[in-house]
Amino acid sequence: MANDVSAPLTTEFAGLRSEEMILNLGPQHPSTHGVLRLVLVLDGETVIQCTPIIGYLHRGMEKIFENRPYMAGPRYIDNADYLSPMLNETCYAGAVEQLMDIEPPRRAQYLRLIVGELERIASHLVAVGTYGLDLGASTPVLWCFRDREQILDMFEAVSGHRFTHNYMRVGGVLYDLPKGWIQTCEKFLDNFEKVSLPELHELLTGNEIFEARTQGVGYIDPQQALAYALTGPVARASGVNFDLRVNRPYGAYREIAVRTQIRQDGDCFGRYRVRMDEMAESVRLCRVALANLPGGSITTRSPIALRPPRGETYYAVESARGEESIYMISDGSEYPYRAKLRGPSFVNLQILPELLRGSKIGDVIAILGSIDIVLGDVDR
Amino acid sequence: MDLARNVPAAGDQIPSLAAYEPEHINELLAGLAQVDQALGQPVPKKRMNGGIVGIEVPAERLLDAARIMRDTLGFEMLTCVSGADMVDHLESLYHLRSISHNWLLQVRVKLPSANAEVDSLVGLYPAANWLERETFDMYGIVYRGHPDLRRILLDDEFNGYPLLKSFHPTPLTVHDRATTQTSGERAVSGEQQRGMERITPKHLGQGDEERVHPGKLTFGSAAVYLTTGQGVEDVSEHGFVTEQDTESGGTGKPQRG
Repeated sequence: MANDVSAPLTTEFAGLRSEEMILNLGPQHPSTHGVLRLVLVLDGETVIQCTPIIGYLHRGMEKIFENRPYMAGPRYIDNADYLSPMLNETCYAGAVEQLMDIEPPRRAQYLRLIVGELERIASHLVAVGTYGLDLGASTPVLWCFRDREQILDMFEAVSGHRFTHNYMRVGGVLYDLPKGWIQTCEKFLDNFEKVSLPELHELLTGNEIFEARTQGVGYIDPQQALAYALTGPVARASGVNFDLRVNRPYGAYREIAVRTQIRQDGDCFGRYRVRMDEMAESVRLCRVALANLPGGSITTRSPIALRPPRGETYYAVESARGEESIYMISDGSEYPYRAKLRGPSFVNLQILPELLRGSKIGDVIAILGSIDIVLGDVDR
Repeated sequence: MDLARNVPAAGDQIPSLAAYEPEHINELLAGLAQVDQALGQPVPKKRMNGGIVGIEVPAERLLDAARIMRDTLGFEMLTCVSGADMVDHLESLYHLRSISHNWLLQVRVKLPSANAEVDSLVGLYPAANWLERETFDMYGIVYRGHPDLRRILLDDEFNGYPLLKSFHPTPLTVHDRATTQTSGERAVSGEQQRGMERITPKHLGQGDEERVHPGKLTFGSAAVYLTTGQGVEDVSEHGFVTEQDTESGGTGKPQRG
């Protein structure tokens, strides 16, 4: 075994012994996308062992849920995966709805789909842009954030907040679309599909350096992906045909069919390509939803003090990073008895030591960036 | 490594909306008869909203049941492990997905509060590693056979298991300058100067933002408490000063666990 330093060497370098080195990466490192700490054991340039240390951003979100009324939950879950708050809120609101056995009006479900898909584009833009930055390409991140800014502006128009939207309510959404919002959105979608996305492809997809850094790096085979419960673009890039919007459709996805974006590559480049394809797919979904946007009310009449009946439920949505789900127990009071949040980043990060073992130190950031974790979602 | 077989290929037709249909769930219920057989006793099953089937397995037979679920029934993915503190006992809950059949199964294991131990599923599902560590971190449930069972989100020196219902070392909401009502007619303002707590008599209904007692949100119902005094707990247990304490020279310093 190459890594076994205790084995006697028979080459001319027999007198030289390589020593293991411990490299501490993070928690304050720009490429870890937050406060992740990796303790790497190196043999020369090769990673022998990697121990992720997480929890620096742990806010006790599940305990907070237990001490806040159901109404206050969507505001707190915004901060879990802070790059896709709309999708988090959909998860929380959907869980309480499933617990109470109520169905939001069709218009509300379509609005959730539209803002959810826009949020997916925004989240993937950050993922792709910062991934380029990690690998030394500094232009994509600027262009990505430029486009993302337009989405945040639209969110501000619809919900009043750019980032922590607090837009979903149990039984619907808070506000209807403001005047002229649909035109703005369509203009953005046209521009994004015709100009921004091809530009991004031009910058990264055919880029020789980018391809060399990502192709064949960090390979995950489909069985590994299932065993480690990977979901989202990470699993779909390994050929796992699993997308909750298709497999167990919820909300408006029961009416609007999604084309699952799958690739068989399994490497960092495949994961990047799946994100790019999903952005194009999200644009299409937004268009379909806007074209078929039904009228009617945007929320059911539900009391301010929600008291779901005693019981338990498990509700999962396809977040930008994979399956985001809540397991919730109600004891019939105004506060959730238990709300377990399954963060997709937390579960996806688990495979990192497996992926890094045996890879070169230069690939560590390439592999970590391709999993696209959000530390707020890992630590919750 | 021993991994799950039968990975669904890209072109496979996936039953989507059918996942919620009764026949689809009946198929799973019929399949679960194999678990009954293997365990030698019928496991309690129930249908839940959202096309989920919930079963309950005795703690000592969890590994046998999980092996059948993975190898025979085709649950390839362990999605989620959660704990729950039901006061008289603890629960460890597993959510399993079968992608090829599009099933979602919830497995519940009841454990005694005092000595909660259950077999680890890491050998069958590698994903259980961090998920079980998190549950151990929050509830103190020991997973036997886990290769690396230590705290994951909290500090290694952390004392206690925070998601247990009995865990309340400090008041959940502590504001030094908040006004705390100690009785129906009296309130304590929390401003501290040289260890002394300043007592301010307050009239009922004075100030909208008064906290009736720390740690609970008061919203609109605060008005009810303020007029009737109902629901006002003895604040001394939260570490705040009470009238008697102050008269005898108490410091009123919140005790931090």
